[in-house]
Amino acid sequence: MAVDNIVYLIPALPVLAFVLTLAFGKKLPSGGGYIPILAIAISCIISVMAFLQIYNTGIPIEVSAHWFSVLNVGILIDPLASVMLMMVTFVSLLIHIYAIGYMAHDPGKPRYFAETALFTAAMLGVVLADNILQFFIAWELVGLCSYLLIGFWFRKPTAAAAAKKAFLTTRVGDVLFLAGIVILYSSMRDVFLERFPAGIPDGTYLLQFSTIFDNISHIDPTNLTIITLLFFGGAVGKSGQFPLHVWLPDAMEGPTTVSALIHAATMVTAGVYLVARTFPMFIASPAVELAGITIPATLTVVAYIGGFTALFASTMGLVMNDIKRVLAFSTISQLGYMMLALGMGSVIGVAAVGFAMFHLINHAFFKACLFLCAGSVIHSTGTNDLREMGGLMSKMKITGITMLFSSLALAGIGIPFLKIIGTPIGTSGFVSKDAIILEGSYVFANVTHDWIPFAFGVLAALLTAIYTFRLWFMAFTGKPRQERHPHESPATMTGVLSILAVFALVFGMLTFIPFNIFVGHTYDHHEIEELAGLAGNHVIGHDEILDIAHHASPIITLLPVIVGVGGLLLAWVIYNRRWISVASIGNMRNPLFKILAKRYYQHEIFIELISLKFTYGVLALAGEFSDRKIVDGIIDGISSFIIGGAEVLKKIQTGVVQNYATATVLGVGLIALILSLRWVI
Amino acid sequence: MNYIELASEFAPELILTIGALAIMMIGLFLANSQKKVLGYLATIFLAVASLVIVYRGIYDIQMEGILADSLTIDPMSQFFKLTFLVVSLIVVIASIKEYDGHSNQDEYYTLILLGTIGMMVVASAIDIVTMFIGFELASLSTYALAGFNKKDPNSLEAAVKYFIIGALSSALLLFGLSYIYGMSGGLTNISELAVFFNNNPAVLQSPMGIIALMLIVAGFGFKMALVPFHMWAPDTYQGAPTVISALLAAGSKKMAFVAAFRILLIAMIAIKIDIAMVFMILAIITMTLGNVVALSQRSLKRMLAYSSVAQAGYISMVFVVMSPEALTGGILYVMSHAFMKTGAFIAVAALGYMLLKENSNAKDVDHLDNFAGLGKRSPFLAFSIMIFLFALAGIPFTAGFVSKFILFLSVLEGGFYLLVIFAILNSALSLYYYARVVKYMYVLPPSSDEKLKVPGTYAVAILLAIIGVLAIGIVPEPFINWAASAANVLGL
Repeated sequence: MAVDNIVYLIPALPVLAFVLTLAFGKKLPSGGGYIPILAIAISCIISVMAFLQIYNTGIPIEVSAHWFSVLNVGILIDPLASVMLMMVTFVSLLIHIYAIGYMAHDPGKPRYFAETALFTAAMLGVVLADNILQFFIAWELVGLCSYLLIGFWFRKPTAAAAAKKAFLTTRVGDVLFLAGIVILYSSMRDVFLERFPAGIPDGTYLLQFSTIFDNISHIDPTNLTIITLLFFGGAVGKSGQFPLHVWLPDAMEGPTTVSALIHAATMVTAGVYLVARTFPMFIASPAVELAGITIPATLTVVAYIGGFTALFASTMGLVMNDIKRVLAFSTISQLGYMMLALGMGSVIGVAAVGFAMFHLINHAFFKACLFLCAGSVIHSTGTNDLREMGGLMSKMKITGITMLFSSLALAGIGIPFLKIIGTPIGTSGFVSKDAIILEGSYVFANVTHDWIPFAFGVLAALLTAIYTFRLWFMAFTGKPRQERHPHESPATMTGVLSILAVFALVFGMLTFIPFNIFVGHTYDHHEIEELAGLAGNHVIGHDEILDIAHHASPIITLLPVIVGVGGLLLAWVIYNRRWISVASIGNMRNPLFKILAKRYYQHEIFIELISLKFTYGVLALAGEFSDRKIVDGIIDGISSFIIGGAEVLKKIQTGVVQNYATATVLGVGLIALILSLRWVI
Repeated sequence: MNYIELASEFAPELILTIGALAIMMIGLFLANSQKKVLGYLATIFLAVASLVIVYRGIYDIQMEGILADSLTIDPMSQFFKLTFLVVSLIVVIASIKEYDGHSNQDEYYTLILLGTIGMMVVASAIDIVTMFIGFELASLSTYALAGFNKKDPNSLEAAVKYFIIGALSSALLLFGLSYIYGMSGGLTNISELAVFFNNNPAVLQSPMGIIALMLIVAGFGFKMALVPFHMWAPDTYQGAPTVISALLAAGSKKMAFVAAFRILLIAMIAIKIDIAMVFMILAIITMTLGNVVALSQRSLKRMLAYSSVAQAGYISMVFVVMSPEALTGGILYVMSHAFMKTGAFIAVAALGYMLLKENSNAKDVDHLDNFAGLGKRSPFLAFSIMIFLFALAGIPFTAGFVSKFILFLSVLEGGFYLLVIFAILNSALSLYYYARVVKYMYVLPPSSDEKLKVPGTYAVAILLAIIGVLAIGIVPEPFINWAASAANVLGL
C-alpha cells in the first residue's frame, strides 16, 4: 500500500532538513527555519496517513531490511507508535513555528534549527524503531542533540555545565539500558540455539520486538527481570525519574523552545515510551531471588519509583522562583504519573499502557503550552524570576489566558460524575490524571490492598494544583513588580499558544474512549494475560476495571477534583488574596520551607559531606564541585575522580625515556607477578 | 615450488621491493620540486600490490611450506597484508601534499614501502626467525620515519624514544623467542612448535616456559602499546609527523597482533590459561588507563594516541577468550581500527597543514582549540573527523560499531562478564572525549571566519578511509565472513 512505501520519509525528511539548514541556513531568511517546518509538516501528514490506514485496517505497518547476521533495520508503526508519531511531529511542528518568532533576534538561528531538526529526526527514529538496537541508537542520538541544545548558549558557563551534567547523568541510564540489551541478546540467542541447534535460521532477527515478544516465555525469568530492570534504569535516566532526575531542572539553561520540545513534550517521554514499547516484557517479569536478595517484580518498581517521583518533584516545585524550574519539576512529577500508570499494569493489564500514553499525549500539549507561555513571558519581561513578575495579565492577554487554560489542565480541573457518552468532562489533564488515579491506582489498591501508589498520586495532585496556580497568580495577577514594559509576543508565538491551549482544554474529552481502545490494540489481550501469568499476576478485564472504579465511594471519586480545586484555592488565598502572608511561611525560619528550598539538602549531604570531605580528604584529588545536588554530587564526584585521576596518571607520563624503559621492565615484573599468582593458586 | 611460482605468490612483496628501489633510484635524477612524482609512483605500486592480493583471492587461499616452511599464504595473512597495504596507501596519498617540495622525499617513500614489506612478511611468517626479521625491517623503517621532520625537535625526540624503547623490547622479544628455540630443541617453525609443545606441555609449563611467555608478551606489548609498555606511544604519536603516526597506529601496531595470534595462539596454546590470565589483566588496565588519560588531553594527536592504546586493550581481549568468534571480532577490529585511526590522523594532519600554510609559525596545530568552529571553516573536514571519532566511539553504522559488537559479544559468550563490563563502561566513557571534539567543531565559534580548503590529495586519502569505515558499518557481512575465514586459520 502507498503509505508503507513512504513511511521512511517520516524520519528522512527532518534529516534532510538538518543537512540543508546546516549548509544553507545562514543565507536564508529566519536562519533557514522554514526548511524544517516544511519537512516536519510533511512528516506530520504522512504520520496521519499512516494512522488512518492502521485505524481502518487494524494492521500495523511493518517494513524491515536485513543488516547483518541476526540484526535488521526496520520501521514498525502499530497503534502505540502511531499516536506517539502524530504527537511528536505535530508538537515539533508547532514549536518550530513558534521558534521563528522566539529566536528572531538570536544570531545562532541556523544552528538552532539544524539541531532541532536533527533532534526531531532522532526522536522519530526512537518512535519508529522495530527493534531494540535501533531504538537504542536513536535514543543515544536524541541524547546527543539534547546535550547540544542545552548548551546552545555555550558562552553561558551555567549552560555548558548543565549540558555536561545532562549528558553524564543520562549516560548512567544509557549504560544500564545497553547492559539490558546485551543480556537480552544473549538470552534470545540461547533460546534460539536451543530451538534450532543447527544454527539460527536466516531472517530471524533476535532483537526485533515481535521476535522478542513471541519468545518471552522461553527467557529465564531471573534474566527477564534483570533485563527489564536495566531497561527501566535507562528510562529513569531519560525521563528524569528519581534518583536520576537531577539533570532536568538544570537543563532549563537551554532556550525555552528547547525546554518545551525536548524537556517537556518529546525526549523525556522516551523513557515512558520505552516501558510502553516493551510492556509485554515488563508484565512478564516476576519477583525473583538473586544471590539471596529478593528483587521485586519490575512493574512494582516502576509503580513505586513513578509514584514517589510524582510526589517528590512536586514538593520542590512549590518553592522554586524560576518560572522554568517550576515547570521542570512539574515535568518530572508528571512523568512520574505516567510511570505510575504503567506500574499499575500488573493488575489492569494493557489498559495501563493506554492511560500512560494518554497522559503522555495530553501532557505534551499542556506542558508544551506552559513552557511556550513561559517563553513568551520571558521574551517580553526579560527575566525568569517569578518574584519580579506580576500583573502581566493586562499587558499579555493571550499569553495569560492560554497559560490559564494549560494550568487548569496541569492541575487537573474538571467536573466529576458528569459523563457524556462515557467521557468525563474536564480539561485534558483532568481526564487522564483521573483515569490514572481512579481506574489505575484505585483499582490496583482495591485488588492488591496496596494503597501507597494511590496515596502518592493523590498527594502529588494536591501539590501540583498549588504550585501551578502559585506560578500563574504570581506572574499574571497582583501589582507589577518591575519597571519594564512588557508587551504581547508576535503572532507566530501567540497563534501556536492558542492552538496548544485548545488542545490542552478539549483533547482529553474528545478522544478519551477511542484513544484507549485504539492503543489497547497494540498488544493482544490474551497474550498479555498469559504473560502476566508468568509473573504470577492476574490481569483483570476492562469491564471489571470500570466496575471497581464505579463502585468506589463518592469521596474517592471526588478526591482528585477536591485536591485539584483545593490546591487552586489555597494558591489563590496565599498568592492572590494574600490572606496568608507569603513571608510568614516562605522564610528560612520555617523548617519545612527551608528543607524544600534547599532541595532536601542534597547539595549539603552529597557535595560537602561525601564529595568534598571524602574525595578531597581521603583521595586528595582536587576537583571543582560546582553544583548542587544528590546524584549530581555523585556524578560530579565520579567525573572529577576520573578527570583528577587522569591528571595524576598524566604525570606518570614524564617524557623521560629512562622512566619509560623502567616502566617496560616493571611491566615484565608485573607479568611475572600475575603468572606467579597462578602458580601459587 | 619453483622460483616462478614463488615470485607469483609473493608478487605483492616483490612489487613493493621493486617500487622501493625504483623510487630511490629515480629520486637521484629529480629536482626537489619534481619529487612529488615519487609519491604518485609509490601510490601506484601500493595500489597494484593491493589489487594483486585481491585478485589472487582472499577467502579460501591456503599455501604452506614456502621457502623451507618459513612463510605461508592463508586468509589470515592476506587479510592483514591488505590492511597494511591500504593503510600505507592512504598515508602515501596524504603525504604527497604534506611533503611536496621536500628534499628527502625519495627516502621517505622508500622507507614507507620497506616498512610495509616488513609488516607483510610478519603477516605471512610461520617461522619465528622470519617473523623477527620482518618485525625489525618494519621497526627500523618506522624509527627513521618518526624522526623524518629532522628540524623539529619534537619529531627527533619522538624517534629517539621510539627507538630506545623499541630496541629494549626487541631484545626482550628475541630473548623470549630464544627460550622457545632452546626448550623445543631447536625448532623455529610455528606448527612444529605447536606439535612439540602439545605433546610435551610440561616443557612449556616449566619456569623456563613461563619466563619465555613473560618476555614475549613484553615484546609484543610494546608494539601493541599495552599498558605498561605503552609509554612511548603518546610521545611518539604526538611528536612524529602526523601521517606517520597514522602508519604507526594503524599499521605497525597491528603487525604485532598477527604475530601474537600465530605465536601465542598456535605455538604456545599449551599454556593458554597462563596467556589468558596475563592478557585479562593487561586488557583491563590498558583499556581503562587509555580512556581515562585520553579524557584530559587537549592535543588531538595525543588523545588519538591514548584512544589507540585503549583500542589495543579491546583487541587484546581475544587472547583471553580464544574462541573463533572472538578472533573474528578481533581481526575485524584490526581492519576497522586501521580505517578509523588512519582517517582520524590524516584529517588532523590536513588541518595542521592548512593552519601552517596560513601561518607558518603556528605551534601546536593539533590543539583542541584549533578545532573550534571547524564545522564552519571546513565542513568536509569537520564532517569526516566526526565520522572517524564516532566510529572510534562505536556508534552504529560505522566500522567501529560492528567490530565492537562482534568482539564484545564473543567475550560475553565466553563467560568473561567482568571483562565485558569493563569494556562496555570504557566505551561509554570514551564517547565523552570524542563528543567533546565534535562539540568544539560544531558548537564553538571559529577563531577566524576564513574558509579552509582541504588539498585534493588529503581529501582523496580521507575519502578512502571514510569509504572503509562506512562500508564495514553498513554492509558488514562480507567483511565478517572474511575475518571469520581468517580466524579459521588458527583452528581454535
